[in-house]
Amino acid sequence: MVPAEDIQAALQKIPWFNTLTTEHFKKTADLAHLRYAKAGDIFFHEGDKQDYVYIVLEGRVSLDIFVPHHGKVRFYTAEPYDVFGWSSVTPSMRQRTAGAVAVLDCTVACLDAEKLRQFAENDHDFGYLLMRRLANVVASRLMVTRLQLIDMFAGPTEYKND
Amino acid sequence: MTTILINTTAHSAGYTDKLLLPHWAEIVKIIPEAEGVTTFQLKFTDPEVQNRYRFEPGQFNMFYIPGYGEAAISMSSDLETANGLLVHTIRHIGNVTKATSRLKIGDTVGIRGPFGTSWPLDAIKGMDVVIACGGIGLPPLRGAIHRIIRNRDKYGKVTLLYGARTPKDLMYPTEYKTWQKADIDMQVTVDRGDEDWTGRVGVVPMWFYHFRVDPHKTAVLTCGPEIMMRFVIYEALARRIPAEHIYISLERNMKCGQGACGHCQQGPYFICKDGPVFPFSALENIFNVEEY
Amino acid sequence: MTEKNLVLGSSVAFLKSELDLLMTDLRKNGFQTVGPHLQDESIVYSKIDGLKDLPRGILSEQNPASYRMIQTGKDRYFDFIPGSQSWKQFLFPPRHTLFTAEKVGKWQFVENEDPAPRYALIGVRACELAAIQVQDKVFLRDDFSDSIYRSRREGLFILAVNCLDPDATCFCVSMGTGPRLAAGFDLCVTELDEVFLVEVGSELGRSVLASRTFDLPSAFAQNTANQAMERATNSMVRTMDTTDLPHLLTAQLEAERWAEVGKRCLSCANCTLVCPTCFCWDATDHVDILGKSTRRERVWDSCFNPNYSYVVGGNTRPNIRSRYRQWLTHKLGTWKKQFDIQGCVGCGRCITWCPARIDLTEEVAAIRAEVKT
Repeated sequence: MVPAEDIQAALQKIPWFNTLTTEHFKKTADLAHLRYAKAGDIFFHEGDKQDYVYIVLEGRVSLDIFVPHHGKVRFYTAEPYDVFGWSSVTPSMRQRTAGAVAVLDCTVACLDAEKLRQFAENDHDFGYLLMRRLANVVASRLMVTRLQLIDMFAGPTEYKND
Repeated sequence: MTTILINTTAHSAGYTDKLLLPHWAEIVKIIPEAEGVTTFQLKFTDPEVQNRYRFEPGQFNMFYIPGYGEAAISMSSDLETANGLLVHTIRHIGNVTKATSRLKIGDTVGIRGPFGTSWPLDAIKGMDVVIACGGIGLPPLRGAIHRIIRNRDKYGKVTLLYGARTPKDLMYPTEYKTWQKADIDMQVTVDRGDEDWTGRVGVVPMWFYHFRVDPHKTAVLTCGPEIMMRFVIYEALARRIPAEHIYISLERNMKCGQGACGHCQQGPYFICKDGPVFPFSALENIFNVEEY
Repeated sequence: MTEKNLVLGSSVAFLKSELDLLMTDLRKNGFQTVGPHLQDESIVYSKIDGLKDLPRGILSEQNPASYRMIQTGKDRYFDFIPGSQSWKQFLFPPRHTLFTAEKVGKWQFVENEDPAPRYALIGVRACELAAIQVQDKVFLRDDFSDSIYRSRREGLFILAVNCLDPDATCFCVSMGTGPRLAAGFDLCVTELDEVFLVEVGSELGRSVLASRTFDLPSAFAQNTANQAMERATNSMVRTMDTTDLPHLLTAQLEAERWAEVGKRCLSCANCTLVCPTCFCWDATDHVDILGKSTRRERVWDSCFNPNYSYVVGGNTRPNIRSRYRQWLTHKLGTWKKQFDIQGCVGCGRCITWCPARIDLTEEVAAIRAEVKT
């Protein structure tokens, strides 16, 4: 079991955590643990029940979706300080919509999603800060997704002489 | 005060009158790159022209395949790195460029040029440089990268952000290590990857959130699909980098290369003559006007 | 009066038949005389030998989408206002071979430099002369000089004619280009009923005129001519408010008027074809069936051509609204910044020859009105 001080030291490297009050920080650190993953380790599969929300501290985690005839398509990589698995904190998603796999050796902070939701429910001040942060994460992810959707590198569908 | 880059390398192939007449050049080497992309190395058949020919990274030639027509192709290297040979990386998607895919070593093509403005490598000395490009937008910047590496101590922190559609569309992957060794922080990303891809999946503009810039001394050079450049400009402006220090390379329908046939105009500019490289401050009023 | 008295600026009078002899002289000196000619019920610019080839007794009447000719029966040759063609076809030919190449082992050029023809333009109006001066600034520049244009321009002889009967589509007064000719010609003719008054504008004009029979113009003749030119200036009905013009259009790229005119415009390119200053061109390869010989040809093009702004991945001006906007904001706006001269000379051809009756003076006024509200 990783000592509490280690978890707290790791979390303090993440900018958002430094904006919390000491009490909020400690309570969050209590529901967190560190995981050291090797390249190829799986965090969750599509269809899994939600369990944690993750923050990458070192390394790289890829999110993928299985597409028939195409195999696992990697549509996003979470870099240091990126959040993944955030849908476990929002009430509407029932199960994972994508898989997450470490592509490099990683250190990842894992926050118990159920306990986090409870915390937010009981302490609305914290809840607001959490949701605000998540809204930014989702907004940024949406921006990336839009640019990927536009497919800006796609070739032309019709052509003429140059 | 907006500075418009002036085309300073005036027609160094040495002709002012017969600017519509190409010089013949021979294919010396052919290097297949990503799918549908080939790099050609050429040498002028007239040794005098070959000796005289000079250009600056960012400029382009009109590449002529007799019987097909011309295409505007950027220089894809600087002269010194290529030992004096002309290097052109071409994507085969139009009528003329598809014809280039059938070229063999020893074939002759026509070259007119060099045309256009170049990356302001002298003006940005002493600054941090962020090069943000995507897809086929890397070739026009490769000459600038070579030049920066050659004079590495004249520039501050150099970051190269490069994106492509999929891992197999990445250009020049064998050179990334060399560039990184030359103290260039290179970050590669793809729109989507497969199970074998252990690199980044994302988009170039969003990478700005992962590092800090000093807006007072950072210059941005960007080239690629216009959408990508637009978002790179948003992110650069959001970090308060002045529009005069954001340089973009535009592409339009080029025919004559000299501001004579009218095709490449955008607003008051002839992209072939007043560009293709512009400081964004020159384009601010017209860049986002739809279909202008 | 004798040739010894002829100097730059001299004004003489000669019988109309002298014009025939003058044109013959020009041909003897190696010029090809070209001018207005009635053909297929239209006035075109083509090879002419003398008075017999000019549109005698023709008066014109123009309106948007309408050009009518009226036969007056008079012994007058320049009462009409020019039709759809302009002199740019001679300096900037609609089709021209840039080079031919052959594949003999390797590709090489085939030498075939035809010498440039020397044209004598007979009957150039003030707006047309202004248009030639605009194209001089487009084709003859420090950074790029078009050798095709230059070789034709250097050998050019211009016999200009003062307009005495402007049509309803003319607006050269607003654009400051006419109707009266001031300079830039070799000879300038003002037509009276009995004679032509001829002014010497250059040394070449003087030397060509010197061999003709002419007289000092009478005071009456000079007066009649001056009055006719005054009347011409005052009778012009169409105007273009040019206040703040380059800036007005380029600052109104999002005006609603563009969408409105975009619905009416057919993108037929007539306006660019008849416009005497439009200069866009395309270059195409004409290759033989074996692929061993090719001819690269320059042809007129138009910004209304749907493929004009094609780039890989799409078209930057895919609809008519954006193409019309490009044409007008270029002609009356950015052109000035590019070439240091206004692009429109007020000839009114684009108004007459537009099948949709689009009038650029009206469009400019509408945008100006939109700005005020």
